[in-house]
Amino acid sequence: MFFTKKKKTPRDPTIEHLADIVGKKSILYKKEDLLSYDCDGFTIHKAIPKAVVFPKDTAEVAAVVKYCSAHKMPFLARGAGTGLSGGAIPLNGEVIISLVKMKNLLSVDFENRQAVVQPGFVNLKLTNSIADKGYYYAPDPSSQYVCTIGGNVAENAGGAHCLKYGVTTNHILGLEVVLPDGEIIEISENGLPDAPGYDLLGLLTGSEGTLGIVTKITVRILKNPEGKQTVLAYFDDVENGSQAVSDIISAGIVPAALEMMDKTAIEGVEAGTYPVGHPDDIEALLLIEVDGIITGIAEQIEEIMNVCRRWNVREVKVAESEEERGRWWANRKTGFGAMGAISPDYLVQDGVIPRSKLPEVLRNIRKISEESELRIANIFHAGDGNLHPLILFDSRKPGETEKALKAGSDCLKACADVGGSITGEHGVGIEKIEEMRFIFTEEELEAQTNVRDVFNPDGLLNSGKLFPTPSRCMDVKKVM
Amino acid sequence: MELKEVSGGQLVLSKKYGNTGLSVVTPKSEEEIQQILCTANEEGKKISVMGRGTKRGYGGVKEEYDLVLSLANYKGIVEHTVGDMTVTARPGTTIAELQGYLKKHDQMVSIDPSWPEEATIGGVIAANESGPKRLKYGAARDLVIGLRVVYADGSVIRTGGKVVKNVAGYDMNKLFIGSMGTLGVISEITMKLRPLPKFESLVLLSIDEDRLEELKAFTVKLQGSMIEPASLELVNPALSKKLLDREEYTLLIAFEDVERAVRYQEEWVAANKPDAAILSNLSSDESREFWKGFSVIQPNALKENEPADHVQATVKISSRNIQVFDILEEVRLLKQVNKAELDAHGGLGHGVSFVILKGPEEAVTSTIASLRDFVRTKQGFTTIKHLPFELRKKIDTWHDKPSYFFLFEGIKRKVDPKNTLNHKRFIGGI
Ligand SMILES: Cc1cc2nc3c(=O)[nH]c(=O)nc-3n(C[C@H](O)[C@H](O)[C@H](O)COP(=O)(O)OP(=O)(O)OC[C@H]3O[C@@H](n4cnc5c(N)ncnc54)[C@H](O)[C@@H]3O)c2cc1C
Repeated sequence: MFFTKKKKTPRDPTIEHLADIVGKKSILYKKEDLLSYDCDGFTIHKAIPKAVVFPKDTAEVAAVVKYCSAHKMPFLARGAGTGLSGGAIPLNGEVIISLVKMKNLLSVDFENRQAVVQPGFVNLKLTNSIADKGYYYAPDPSSQYVCTIGGNVAENAGGAHCLKYGVTTNHILGLEVVLPDGEIIEISENGLPDAPGYDLLGLLTGSEGTLGIVTKITVRILKNPEGKQTVLAYFDDVENGSQAVSDIISAGIVPAALEMMDKTAIEGVEAGTYPVGHPDDIEALLLIEVDGIITGIAEQIEEIMNVCRRWNVREVKVAESEEERGRWWANRKTGFGAMGAISPDYLVQDGVIPRSKLPEVLRNIRKISEESELRIANIFHAGDGNLHPLILFDSRKPGETEKALKAGSDCLKACADVGGSITGEHGVGIEKIEEMRFIFTEEELEAQTNVRDVFNPDGLLNSGKLFPTPSRCMDVKKVM
Repeated sequence: MELKEVSGGQLVLSKKYGNTGLSVVTPKSEEEIQQILCTANEEGKKISVMGRGTKRGYGGVKEEYDLVLSLANYKGIVEHTVGDMTVTARPGTTIAELQGYLKKHDQMVSIDPSWPEEATIGGVIAANESGPKRLKYGAARDLVIGLRVVYADGSVIRTGGKVVKNVAGYDMNKLFIGSMGTLGVISEITMKLRPLPKFESLVLLSIDEDRLEELKAFTVKLQGSMIEPASLELVNPALSKKLLDREEYTLLIAFEDVERAVRYQEEWVAANKPDAAILSNLSSDESREFWKGFSVIQPNALKENEPADHVQATVKISSRNIQVFDILEEVRLLKQVNKAELDAHGGLGHGVSFVILKGPEEAVTSTIASLRDFVRTKQGFTTIKHLPFELRKKIDTWHDKPSYFFLFEGIKRKVDPKNTLNHKRFIGGI
């Protein structure tokens, strides 16, 4: 019986070839194994890959890519699969090249403040590996305990502490990349500044895995600040909270982080795994952190508290211990997931606005919520105007998923309308393809696809992402 | 605008630095830039793009283009949203004009390139210029959030946006920063701003040439401490003599923070400095004066005051942080065997150094060659960012082409297929 079964399903030559490259234990091709790769953190859209391979080094990545390229077979890279815009979804039945086995910290050079990692290395592990020497890696997406640095590079990931220290692109010093034809290139191999020629490091970072597969990354590491203090402020009114944000920035303070949550979000985090006992009747809270030289922090904290008082804060307090600070941050950083406690499903959106438009946009989002009859929670990086409206819905109710998608898109429109952007850190992926038209003209989109074509002329690498093309949009709509 | 109308038919720019043209046009609007480019592109004409011209000695192996497009008169602030801490400026605005305007609002663009009174923001971005404060604030790529770019065919492309965080589509801003005008004419620049520092100071530590190791050990200790300098620039004895009348290695340690934090850090330096180092503290005002003087030490193509038999050159070197010490030491050794004057400074922490050479042609070119060889052994990059045209024909001013040079060519081909803009100005003759 064993034999007959084997005869009935002759192995696909592609699978055999790929297995030759990466080894039989490093490939998945059976339907049931492929199911867990049918989407990433954007779960509304699904597609089954041709296979998933787990190369262990750059040479294997290059060999897989060469094979796919020679056989005109679509392929894409995948890290931890936490992306929220569908960038790792195999729309075209791709061969997925998972980088999770390339998960080593290759070297750390404290004197020159650099670390070299493989793409599958998990973000938080870097900080954990160098913390004993007093160093850390600054970009801190809330998913940092699982997401990979390769995925961070692809998405140009941000995080709560990016206000002062910058997002991923500001911390990438060098990249090894496998181009879509399998050629391996090294950009700024030693992590030196201003590599000659066009800034490919900058271009590749945030290109959502459509220009090449990153196989090695040199990042900047930072020395821990001497001290930090964290303030929590409760407001009875969202507008007051927003004004406080503006005034803190106008006072010439550059906080390490400046986060905001609204009432619905607070309800969520309080029902989640890390409640801290926020009052249930406040309209907004601010979580503000200042770091730097200890003797300089106190007066900045004082000023922040005064600004909050000026804007009628109900209660404002400073974390009294590292433990308390940790609890406040755990509550904030698990905010998305916590929505699961108050809603069967939720959709995370990611718009950016000029900070001064905060009250206006929050009002518009409230309107969108009323019109769609869906609750929308707001958790966001207020300091840099990066909003995360979380649209709560129930996919079991007919039509509600579509309604949620529409509400999400409307939120992005509200951001674009005030001169903002449709994504600050989660990327376009497949989710926001149509919304690209909110902010770019046809000509501007073409300028970008022209650049893509230089790297990825056959469109085999992660195609159908980022850019709307008339045919592509139709496809996406149909499947949805 | 008809090309003929604006062309005087004569050479307006001196030939010394090349990158000149049969005529110079100074558009005053984006539409004019579009028209000029569109016409030139259709007629197969070649354009040299410039701001005010401080960097005409930076790259380029063409003496003359059909046309020089100067953005000097396309200037001014388009939009400044104080609360959002963003500013949009036209390319011809000088750094000093920009900072002067923002100062009224206690804000600044966090970049401190050379020649702020003359260098335009467009030129600074296109050439990716930076100064010593790069340590704290990063470079042009870290502050530009959006651009308007006129492509060679006259179309206008917006890249990035007006918000400080943005990952929609490719980060196209990065393509134009440092592209030396080879991909498009930047017609508007949006940048994120920083508050003016509440307090600033500058600590100078000077030490005898023979005791550089002690300064190095101190630097390593400082970098491993909690101290957060805004710049940590090492200056060689020759340059230190000119700036401070001290012919010793000098470390420029700048602090920008609230006053108490600055004072605390000054005290740390005083308590930890090498015994042999002489320390002086410059106040806020004095340090601002010092940096002003520092910003005009590099050669500038607009000032041609050296004797006829002398040439000037600037070499930019990228290295690892601590290798700045090795580079400055190499400069000292080269000086002992060479007739050229060699002033040098390098940024610890970010790794960008500059060597300024002055002297007889032979001495300058042979020193450049030696310096290059040395930097190659350290796997660093060298770019000669200022050199007279005649010498640029003999010496490739750009670093060796990387293995992925074909990608640069591919990008150029897609964006400016007729090589209309700054043809042969960039690496590998792009
Ligand atoms: C709960 C939660 C919280 C989050 N919080 C944040 C946040 O605060 N800030 C933020 O920015 N994001 C956040 N994210 C989004 C996500 O974690 C980031 O986008 C992250 O960078 C994705 O990393 P990954 O390893 O999961 O990549 P994946 O999801 O596997 O892939 C993302 C994209 O990158 C490409 N890719 C992956 N690896 C490579 C590679 N080596 N080379 C080339 N392309 C590659 C893929 O093709 C895909 O297009 C959050 C997600 C979740 C689920």
